[in-house]
Amino acid sequence: MMHAPFDVVTWATPAFILLVIAEILAVRFLDAKGGYEARDTATSLGMGLVSTVTGIVTGGIVAASVLWVWSHRIYTVPHTAIWAWVALFFLEDLTYYWFHRISHERRFWWAAHVNHHTSQHYNLTTALRQTWTGGVAGTWALWLPLTFLGFPPGMVAIQKGISLVYQFWIHTETIGKMWGPIEYVFNTPSHHRVHHARNPRYLDRNYAGILIIWDRMFGTFEPESAEEPPRYGIVKNLGDFNILRVAFHEWVGIGKDLMSARSIRDVFGYIFGPPGWSPDGSRETSAVIKARWQASLGKASLAEEREAEPADRPGAQ
Amino acid sequence: MTLLYIFGGSAVAVALLVALAAWARIPRRAPVFAEAEARDLFALEFPTRTLSGLWLGEDGAVARSGDEALVLFRVGDGYAARSLPWNKAIASPVKDGRLNLSLGDFAAPRAVISLAAWPPEAAA
Repeated sequence: MMHAPFDVVTWATPAFILLVIAEILAVRFLDAKGGYEARDTATSLGMGLVSTVTGIVTGGIVAASVLWVWSHRIYTVPHTAIWAWVALFFLEDLTYYWFHRISHERRFWWAAHVNHHTSQHYNLTTALRQTWTGGVAGTWALWLPLTFLGFPPGMVAIQKGISLVYQFWIHTETIGKMWGPIEYVFNTPSHHRVHHARNPRYLDRNYAGILIIWDRMFGTFEPESAEEPPRYGIVKNLGDFNILRVAFHEWVGIGKDLMSARSIRDVFGYIFGPPGWSPDGSRETSAVIKARWQASLGKASLAEEREAEPADRPGAQ
Repeated sequence: MTLLYIFGGSAVAVALLVALAAWARIPRRAPVFAEAEARDLFALEFPTRTLSGLWLGEDGAVARSGDEALVLFRVGDGYAARSLPWNKAIASPVKDGRLNLSLGDFAAPRAVISLAAWPPEAAA
């Protein structure tokens, strides 16, 4: 039977519960930053609970695929070697970066991931607002090359679990910015707040799992600015807390759009274009929203310069 | 059977955590739809639009911009924003002082806003 020696996430679950309780009590009694809305909390935890079941649907296909790739591997990495774990740490985290980036920048995979971003809160329960349709979206295939290289499937599963557990604690407003070197290398609550924000400045930024270095390397890093607190949620926030709407609204949106598609280009664009793509450009993608925001910044600074100009001129009063 | 017990136990844990969150009463400050605040929110949500009329309720606001109605409505301690054709907005039903706007969007099917008077006199 093919499974991880132990499931990191299952073992971490009691800690998840205790930390959620601690965060609630810290906000309630210690005036820590953060907030909880009961219906929002119920939706986040409900998504997390059901996500543990939905994985079963595609579990067989995933396991069969992993086994097939493992049987065609080009090398066998010894799972007892320290170098193997170090290499896997970096390779898995790099894989996660690209999985996460695709999950934001292409609509088909965004449809599976968007639920994680639908909360207008940012607390530890937001971390548990997990996908129900990730298996169907097939992003698990991005990890297959690691198995093909020769990392045992159990080893990859453990490292994926470690990454998921790491990413739990960064979903909080209670922790501010951390020590500089930590912020430079690791994904932190501050960096991930940016990732969950809907401010134009912050859209499609900070895709990191454990290491923020990938965002710095690939040009998607944005630091949290004290002048612009993150506003959480998605560009068009959901109208209620209905858990089915959270899980499926983007899939329904894709379906409706495909019904109105008039060409192959439309079909391809609606499925694999960036979220917000439309044939006539009447909707807004993140790139359009960011470009407009940047243009408005340009106008604002130009206006400021003009206002300041007379006083700056030599001899001006 | 063991898996079922684990799932049941997890559901109980979820219920207890939700109860704790409700007991703690620590929501954020809900959005205010007084004129200045509502205008700021409309500017944030619809940065390219110019408002030609504004109607305020305690749980939402409606603005006119050309042939469109722009809508802000409370969702928990947050809010959502949508637009719909102006003609559709002024024809929307009011029941017990609450305007019921059908938004035609699966992600936000309707907005219900307490408005003192609807439709606006000028449009009625």
